[in-house]
Amino acid sequence: MEMLKVNGVEKTFAPGKLPATVADLLAHLNVDAATVVAEVDGGIVQRDSFARTKLRTGQAVELIRLMGGG
Amino acid sequence: MDKLVIAGREFDSRLLIGTGKFASPDIMAEAIKASGAEIVTVALRRVDIDNENDDTLAAIDRSRYLLLPNTSGARDAGEAVRLARLARAATGINWLKLEVTPDPYYLLPDPVETLKAAEILVKEGFVVLPYINADPVLSKRLEDVGAATVMPLASPIGSNQGLKTRASLEIIIEQANVPVVVDAGLGLPSHAADAMEMGADAVLVNTAIATADDPVRMAEAFKLAVEAGRIAYESGPAAAGKRASASSPLTGFLRD
Repeated sequence: MEMLKVNGVEKTFAPGKLPATVADLLAHLNVDAATVVAEVDGGIVQRDSFARTKLRTGQAVELIRLMGGG
Repeated sequence: MDKLVIAGREFDSRLLIGTGKFASPDIMAEAIKASGAEIVTVALRRVDIDNENDDTLAAIDRSRYLLLPNTSGARDAGEAVRLARLARAATGINWLKLEVTPDPYYLLPDPVETLKAAEILVKEGFVVLPYINADPVLSKRLEDVGAATVMPLASPIGSNQGLKTRASLEIIIEQANVPVVVDAGLGLPSHAADAMEMGADAVLVNTAIATADDPVRMAEAFKLAVEAGRIAYESGPAAAGKRASASSPLTGFLRD
């Protein structure tokens, strides 16, 4: 099995089914990329780089969004 | 009313509004509109990957309002800097409400970590609006490292207690060379008007509006209070005195 840690939760994928890029991961999770910012292993990935930022098994991905706050 | 100028940018409204705690995104959007605010604070959190309808801020028209991301949740300077960089990546803007609140009970800001983070973030090109306790010395230190405003608290966040830090706020306002935004704890429009009459440049309100029975009308009430308070300040309030001073002439009484 292959694995990504997404927002602290381990997500497993069958061999060869790991989302290839950040954009693929967002599509897999049904998350609208337009409102999200990502970190992969602690490094910020700009939105315009989602489609070319490749993912490997074992990486930690944080998907972050603006929310209501004071 | 004079314009509010922060980091060279002009604003007509002196009321900043937070977007937390609203019952629905639609009520939030209506309340923001009724408040007349031009600066709207937002937080940064993990996406709820199990909930597709997680985007509660979609109702905000981002072409009309300056989003001011905060670093809420940060417990030290390092976490605040990380959140700041993410916020800039998320919004494309470099304005930031810096808050470092390690204490979960009173949510009081950590002055040492806040100053440390402000120094780093100003150097990275952020327009930093730091949330602080009402500390006149810290205010000057933040000004020295290039903070765009200072945002001293009136009382603990969300407590609605009003201007508990009045004496220190007065000193901060007297000494400041950057706008003073009184943030946190303002529970009623009268509290906001009071802060503005004291000479605060602006106020930031969230809980008192979001958790009112009618947030939209309460937003309007705060708008009017902030305007009234500012106009009163600009008009030069009359002196207060201990004794009576007759408003009517003390001559021409109908008696011998």
